[in-house]
Amino acid sequence: MILKYSLQRLLMIIPVSLAISVVIFLIVHLLPGDPIDNLIRVGSSPEDRIALSAKYGLDRSLIAQYFLWIGQVMTGDFGQAIVLRRPVADLIAQNLPYSLQLGGLAFLFSSIVGIILGIVAWASRNTWGEQLVKGFILLGSTVPGFWLALLMILLFAVNLGWFPVSGARDWTALVLPVLTIGFGGIALVARVTRVALLEVGKQDFITLLHAKGLSRTAILFRHLIPHALLPVVTILALRIGWILGGAVTVEFVFGRSGLGSLLIRALGQRDYPVVQGSLLMLALAVMIGTLIGDIAQAAMDPRIREATK
Amino acid sequence: MRHLKKLRLLSSSALLSASIVTMGFSSIAMAGKATVALPSGELGATSYDPIRSSKLNTATSLIYDRLVEQDADQSFHPHLATSWTESADGMSWTFKLRDGVKFHDGEVFNADTIVSWIPDFKDTENAFLVAAIKSVEVIDPLTVKFVMERPEPNLLYNLASTFMGVPGQKSYDSLGEEYGVTTAIGTGPFKLTSFEIGLETVVTRNDDYAWASDLSSNQGAAHLESVTFREIPDQSTAFLELKTGGIDLLLGVPTDFLSILKAEKNVGVITMAGTGISYMPINTTSAPFDDIKVRQATALAVNQKSILENVYKGVGSEANHFLIDTLPAGDVKKELLVSFDSAKANGLLDKAGWAMGDGGVRMKDGVPLQVKLFTQNDSDLKRLTQVVQAQLKDVGMDAVITVFDSSTIRDEYKKNAHQLAVRSYDWNNADILEWFFSGTRVGYPNVSMWTDEKSEMLKDTAMTKSTTSAERVANFKAYHEHILSSHLFVPLYQPAQNIAFNKDTVTVPEKVRGPRFRSQTFVDIDVVK
Repeated sequence: MILKYSLQRLLMIIPVSLAISVVIFLIVHLLPGDPIDNLIRVGSSPEDRIALSAKYGLDRSLIAQYFLWIGQVMTGDFGQAIVLRRPVADLIAQNLPYSLQLGGLAFLFSSIVGIILGIVAWASRNTWGEQLVKGFILLGSTVPGFWLALLMILLFAVNLGWFPVSGARDWTALVLPVLTIGFGGIALVARVTRVALLEVGKQDFITLLHAKGLSRTAILFRHLIPHALLPVVTILALRIGWILGGAVTVEFVFGRSGLGSLLIRALGQRDYPVVQGSLLMLALAVMIGTLIGDIAQAAMDPRIREATK
Repeated sequence: MRHLKKLRLLSSSALLSASIVTMGFSSIAMAGKATVALPSGELGATSYDPIRSSKLNTATSLIYDRLVEQDADQSFHPHLATSWTESADGMSWTFKLRDGVKFHDGEVFNADTIVSWIPDFKDTENAFLVAAIKSVEVIDPLTVKFVMERPEPNLLYNLASTFMGVPGQKSYDSLGEEYGVTTAIGTGPFKLTSFEIGLETVVTRNDDYAWASDLSSNQGAAHLESVTFREIPDQSTAFLELKTGGIDLLLGVPTDFLSILKAEKNVGVITMAGTGISYMPINTTSAPFDDIKVRQATALAVNQKSILENVYKGVGSEANHFLIDTLPAGDVKKELLVSFDSAKANGLLDKAGWAMGDGGVRMKDGVPLQVKLFTQNDSDLKRLTQVVQAQLKDVGMDAVITVFDSSTIRDEYKKNAHQLAVRSYDWNNADILEWFFSGTRVGYPNVSMWTDEKSEMLKDTAMTKSTTSAERVANFKAYHEHILSSHLFVPLYQPAQNIAFNKDTVTVPEKVRGPRFRSQTFVDIDVVK
């Protein structure tokens, strides 16, 4: 049953991807700006500009350019960057490991700590413990990432000297960026977990379990958490796309590479093939994340499986 | 992008907080290794292929040597070419090549290298650098003759460009498009060891190096064993890396940071003459700037001295024409230099029919003197634009600022949507005049939208009809003077180049030779013993 459901959802990715590719292509090409302006240098002639435009196919109609690009993508070729002068697939492949490393660790860190904090906040409701966690959640939701990044650098790298200020040389350089990104994620996950636990806790079957004399711990771990994790899993699944492209400002402050930084740089230079390739990758990551979330939900909740019959 | 700019601005504020924290230095330039942060304008190079790349960084100059080198005073010095002669008609150049030079892979450098190298530029973005060369002839193994299509007195400037660093031909031919990504072979004082795009480049010493130019004191192998060039986009982070010993040298320090850096006991700061200016082009096709009197009044309303002293704390120099001070074509008639004269500016606006209104804004036929002032989303340019806006207000011109990102603003210029704009350029050659004022480039880069028969004639003469270097200077001077007399722009400021280094870890020569901080200085850098 799960297999059939998964297959149905997987097939839906194809038409959605095609629709997204059209939207991405149009948005990128309708933005004001011209990549050739970032390519020509003082001394080159106006004829060089025309020749460059033709070389990169920018003199063709938008429709022709789209079909050329999507045709290439379907064969696994993301094309050649205009300004960055490298195959787009190479640029993405070079930046992807940095994004996966940073985003993946921050995702794990924020998920685990966030769920634990959410449970602590729920378990200590109506006490100072809950207020403490709620305060942390508020702080985590509102503190801008780049500001937190600079504070982290000042405290842990400059004053205490525990970690390097920036770079990506070894694991020590990962600690501060992971903590910075994770901080915001923790707040989100903890908030969703706490609210979900409160909601599930109000339901009749929980009251019945209490009436039957089950211990609070048993109710929490056997009944409450499995039910409350449904919305948490949805939120976490949606954040899989964010793993790849959501760390732009932190990458900027900590001097790291990554897909987000590549996208921003390429967007500033209107390097169309790179922007299109990176956005398509991010869109795919979000779709796959959503798919994983849906499958996980279906696995955890029989009502969803039944609904698809 | 706007977010990143905002971040840069805000992180600069956080930097002020950082400066009050007491910190010590740790020495990392151990065992002859140094780490350098590249300037923001050089970030994002994707290859060390000087022929095909459109963007290169300082590390390129350490890997490759050039035939000639340029000094800060614009003079040219021998390097891989020991001497050169130009024929009287400018139709040929003969270069004597240095003996005993070897590429990093052992290939010998000689006349055959040059014969094979020049045609490699064909059909690349850098082809214009050698466009005037018709063919290259071997006279003997260490002598080559460039036969020219036309006289090119700018040839030495092109040959001194980083894009004309000479690559090893065997490696270049065998690797094709992949050349410069994992392998880059030159004759320079350092060899490429590793390159991670967007992160860092490591170069190690070429122990056989014995052919430095006379711009370096050290004529042998570099003192440093290796140099790591790091790409750190946020200036605050780069500064904190310097403070904590994470880097030894910070290239391209913004002028805003100088006071903080100079307060640090162990930070040395070198300020070199800049290679560009900030200026305000005037759209000559848009009323009221189609009236030359209004254009001249606008130019006279801007106080360059006040900008230098109040915005840049005296670092850099005043700009009074379109070229940097070291270029001889900037030595124009004194009466054409642009400098603040409020009374004259007000008088010219009166003459043009713009009478001062009650609210301090001039009026003509019931229309207020309100103009559009465009700028880019860059904190330095935005601040400069606000100062210019205030100075224009003093003569009754209400300039309304609009901020764009660097790509969008070019589209606005092409659409002729602008009137005034605050911009900057970085280029140390008089041909920048053609780039920004040629009638064939109206919109962008000719933001002044200037088309004029005399200008075109003077431009063509300067660009293609000069035979000797002296003639070229004279022709560009005439072109420059015509542009100044047409009041097409307002010069604002000449920025300086600032370099900061950790005095505890490295020693840097007091006098930096060359227009930029490049290989000629790197071979002289040593670690603190």
